Amino acid sequence: MALTATRRGERLLAWGLLLPCLAAVCAFAFWPIVYSFVLSLHRIVLGLPGLGEPFIGLGNYARLLADPTARSSAAVTLVFVAVSTLLEVALGTLMALALDKSFRGRGLVRAAVLVPWAIPTVVASQMWRFILNDRYGLLNWLLFGDQVASYRAWLAEPGWALAAIISADVWKTSAFAALIVLAGLQTIPREINEAAALDGAGPWQRFRHLTLPLVLPALAVALVFRTMDAFRVFDLVFVMTQGGPANATNVLQFYGYKKMFAEGFMGYGSAVSVMVFVMVLAVSLLYLRLVGRRLLRGEER
Amino acid sequence: MARWIIIAALGLALVIALGAAGCGQKADEPNTIRLVAWKFNNPGLWRRLADQFERQHPPLRVALEIGPHSSTSFHDLLTQKLKNRSAEVDVFLMDVIWPPEFASAGWALPLDQLFDAGQRKRFVPAALEAASWRGRVYGAPLYLTAGVLYYRRDLLERYRLPVPQTWPQLVSQAKLIVAQDKSGLAGYSGQFKQYEGLVCDMLEFIWSAQGRALGPQGERCVLDRPAALKAVRFVRDALIGTAAPRGVLAYQEPESLSLFAQGGAVFMRNWFYAWPILSDSKRSQVAGKVGLAPLPRFSGGESASCLGGWQVGLSAYSKKPAQALKLIKFLTSETVQRRLALEEGLAPTRAALYQDPWVLKAHPHFAKLAPVLAGARPRPRTPLYPAVSEVMQVYFHRAISDSDSDLPELAGRAVQDIDRLLGLARGQ
Amino acid sequence: MRRGHLIAALAAGGFCLLALAPFAWLVLTSFKTQLEVTAIPPTPWPGGSLEFYRSALSRYGLMHFVLNSLIVAGGTTACTLCLGVGAAYALARLRMPGRPWLMGALLLVSMFPQISLAGPIWRMLQAAGWLNPYQGLIIPYVTLTLPLAVWILTSYFSELPRELEEAAMLDGCGRLGALVRVILPLAGPGVFTAAILVFIYAWNEFFFALLIMTRRAVQTLPVGIALFQGQFTMPWGEIAAASTVATAPLVALVFIFQRRIVSGLSAGAVKG
Repeated sequence: MALTATRRGERLLAWGLLLPCLAAVCAFAFWPIVYSFVLSLHRIVLGLPGLGEPFIGLGNYARLLADPTARSSAAVTLVFVAVSTLLEVALGTLMALALDKSFRGRGLVRAAVLVPWAIPTVVASQMWRFILNDRYGLLNWLLFGDQVASYRAWLAEPGWALAAIISADVWKTSAFAALIVLAGLQTIPREINEAAALDGAGPWQRFRHLTLPLVLPALAVALVFRTMDAFRVFDLVFVMTQGGPANATNVLQFYGYKKMFAEGFMGYGSAVSVMVFVMVLAVSLLYLRLVGRRLLRGEER
Repeated sequence: MARWIIIAALGLALVIALGAAGCGQKADEPNTIRLVAWKFNNPGLWRRLADQFERQHPPLRVALEIGPHSSTSFHDLLTQKLKNRSAEVDVFLMDVIWPPEFASAGWALPLDQLFDAGQRKRFVPAALEAASWRGRVYGAPLYLTAGVLYYRRDLLERYRLPVPQTWPQLVSQAKLIVAQDKSGLAGYSGQFKQYEGLVCDMLEFIWSAQGRALGPQGERCVLDRPAALKAVRFVRDALIGTAAPRGVLAYQEPESLSLFAQGGAVFMRNWFYAWPILSDSKRSQVAGKVGLAPLPRFSGGESASCLGGWQVGLSAYSKKPAQALKLIKFLTSETVQRRLALEEGLAPTRAALYQDPWVLKAHPHFAKLAPVLAGARPRPRTPLYPAVSEVMQVYFHRAISDSDSDLPELAGRAVQDIDRLLGLARGQ
Repeated sequence: MRRGHLIAALAAGGFCLLALAPFAWLVLTSFKTQLEVTAIPPTPWPGGSLEFYRSALSRYGLMHFVLNSLIVAGGTTACTLCLGVGAAYALARLRMPGRPWLMGALLLVSMFPQISLAGPIWRMLQAAGWLNPYQGLIIPYVTLTLPLAVWILTSYFSELPRELEEAAMLDGCGRLGALVRVILPLAGPGVFTAAILVFIYAWNEFFFALLIMTRRAVQTLPVGIALFQGQFTMPWGEIAAASTVATAPLVALVFIFQRRIVSGLSAGAVKG
C-alpha cells in the first residue's frame, strides 16, 4: 500500500517538475512548427492580399520539388552539412587527442581553442568577410604578400565561396566537437592505454582498437548535434555572401528566409522550412539507427 | 561554495531580467506619433527634427524607434510589424523600391492630399514616380540618391583624356591608364555582388543601351531583347575581369568605395554618399583628386542613372492618421529638406533646393547632381518587386560571372520567371 | 611517452594559432586608423589609434548593448536551469512512463528551423505585449536551449549513485529536498556546463534578437554590432573595436572556467 502511494507521489512530482518545461516547449516550439506546417498548405502572398489565402494542400511541396533553385539549395545544404560536420568532428577529435595529454600551458591552449566558439556568429562572419576581401584581406596578404595583382576574390567564385563558408563554420565550432570528444576521452582510464603500449601496440593501433570504440558514443553525440545545427546554418550566409555568388551558397534555410521574409511568399517559405526540418529528422534518425547499434555493441563489450 | 555563488548570481540575473521586463510597453498615448526609422550619421539629428516638429505642433510628440540601416533588415522589421497590423507604428521610412509592394499589400495609406498638382511640381519628378502605385502617391520623398561616375581627375589630366561619354570610351581609357601604371591599379570599381545593388548597376547599363527590364506598361519582362543582351554582354566581356577586377563580383558599396578611396581604381560607379567621404583626407587617399560626372552611355543611347533614396510612409493601421500626416508633411517641407541637406548631406527631393545658395555653399557638388537626378529612373515597379529583383540578381550574376554563359538562354529563363510573377500580380 | 607529449603540445600550439589568428587580426584592426584598415595591400601593424574605440563607445553606444546581452543571457541561463534541473531530475530519477518519447520530443525541438519558429513566436509575443521587454527574447531562448540543457543534466544526474538520495530520504527530507540538498551540490559541474552552454548560445543568437527586439534600448550585442552597418557603409574599424570589447569578457570567462567546462562534460554527454 505504502509503495503504491509513493509511486503515485513520485509520478505526480515527476509530472510537476516536467510540466513547466513541457509547457514552454509546446507553446514556443511545437505550436509554431505546427502553425508553420499549416501555413505551408496555403498560398499566401503578402504583397497581393487580393488573392486571399486559399488552401492548396501539398501544392507548395509539389512546386518545391520542381523548383530548380530549391533543388540546388538542397544540394548546397547537403554538401555543407557533409563536409563541415566531417571536418569538425575530425578536427575536434584531433584537438581532443592533443589536449588529452597533459603538458605545460594546457589550460591556456584549451581556453584559446574555445575562443572562436565564444565569439558571436555575426561577429565571426563579419571578421571572415573582412579577412577574405580581395584587396585588403589578410588571407591574400598571407598567401601572396604584396603582389596585389595575384590576390584572389575568394567570395566571388562559387566554389571558393562555399569553401569559405565551410571553413568559417569549421573554425567556429570545431571546439564544440573537441570538448565533447575530450570529455569522452577523459573517461578512458589511463592504465588501459599504458598496458596496450607495454604489450607493443603502436599509437595508431591503440587509437583504432582501444580509444576509438570507447570514444564513439561521444563522437556520435557531437555528430548528431553538429549535423542538426549545420542543416540550419543561416547567420554565416546572411552576413558573408547573402546566398551568392550565383546562388552557390544559397542554403535551404536562407532560401526559405528570403521567400518568407523578403519576398512575402509565406506559404512557400514555410514549405521550405518544413522540408529542412524533415531532412534534419531523417538524417538524425539515420544516425541514431547506425550509432544506436554500435552503442549497444560497445556496452556489451 | 563556488557553486552556491554561481547559483545565486544566476538567480540574481533572473530577478533583474524579470524586473527589467516589468518596464515594458508604455500605454499608447493619443498624441504620440511613432516613427520607425534608422539612425542618421549625424548624431541627434532625428531628435532635433522631432523637437522642431513638437514645437510647431503642440501637443503632438514624436517617439522614435531606430531600426537597422540595412535595407533588407529594415524591410524584415517593418513588414513583420505591418503584416501583423501592429498599432505600434504610425510613420515609417520606405526604401524607394517598396511603395508598390506596401501599397498593394494595404500597409501604406495614400498621401495624395499632400501632393496636389501644385505641390507635385516642386518635387523631382522621378521621386514621385517611384512613390506612386496605380496613380496614387504612397510615399513622401525624404531624400534621393542616384548612380554617378566618380573618376580620378589627376589621372585623366595626366594622360590628357576627357571625361568618358560612352562605356567603350571608359574601358579604353581605363586600359590605357592601367597599362602605364605598375601599382596594381584597377580600371573600374562597381557593385556586382549578388544583391539588390547589382540590379541597380546592371539596369544603368541596360537603360543606357536603350533597353529596359519591363515593357512600358510594366506588363511583361523584356530582358531578352537585343539591347538588354548587348549591355549584359558588354559587362561580362569588357568589364568583369578586364577593366574591373574579378573581385567586384563580391563588392557591395563599401568595398567598391574603399578600392577607389585607397587609390586603387581609375573609375567608380557609386551613389551620391561617396562624395563627402572621398573628399575627406582622413578617409580617402585621393581627396582633392576626384571628379564627378553623369554615367556614360552606349552610342545612340542616353546616360541613365538608377534612382535610390528613402521616403516616408503612413501605416494603414495607425490609430492617428491625421496627426501622422502632419509629421509627414513636416518631414518633406522645404525647411526640413534644407536641414537634411545641410546637416546630413542628403540630396533633397525638392527641385528648388538645388539652386538654394545655402545648400550650394555647403555642398557645391549638388549643382552637378541636379541634372543626374533629372535623368534618374526608378527600378521596375510591381508589388512583387523583391521576388522580381531576386530573379534578376541571380540572372545577372550568373550571366556576368561566367565568360561562357549562354546569355539568350539565361535571359529567356529569367523572363519566364518574371512574367509568371507579373501574371500573379495581375491576377488580383 | 615524452615524445607523445611533445607532439601533442606542438599540435595543440598549432590549433591555438589557427583559433586565435583571425581574432588577433581583428584586435589589431581595432587599433588602426581609418585609412590603414582598408589599405591595399594590408598593413599588419596598427598606427596605434583609439579612434575606433571612442567611436564605438560614444557614437554607437557599445556598452549598453553589452549590458542588454548580459541581462538577456543571464536571464535565459537562470530560467533554463530552473526549468531544466527539475525536468532532468524527473527524467533521470523518477519512474515515469514514456521517458524515451519525452527525451526524443525534446531533441526534436533542436531540429526546428529558426525561420519557422520566428513568425508565430513573434505573433504570440506581440499579442502578449512582450515584444520589447527582455522576456520577449528570453522566452524563445529558454525554449531553444532547454533540450540541450535537459539532455546534459539528465545524463549527468543518471550517473550519480542512487544511494545518496535514498540516504537523504531516510533522513527525512522528501524527493525535492533530496534534489536540492544532495543532488544539486554534487551535480555542480554538470549544471555549470549546461549553464555555460546556454549562456554562450543566448549571447551569440542573432536571428530572433533582430526580429523581436526593435527598440535600440534593449537590443543585444549581435544585433548592435550588425546595426553598425549603414546602408552603404561598413565601419570595419568600429566593428573590430566593438567585437574586441564584446568578446573579451567571454574569453576571460572561458579561460577562468575552462577546466570546469571540460570536467563538466566528462560524465555528461558521453552516455548520451
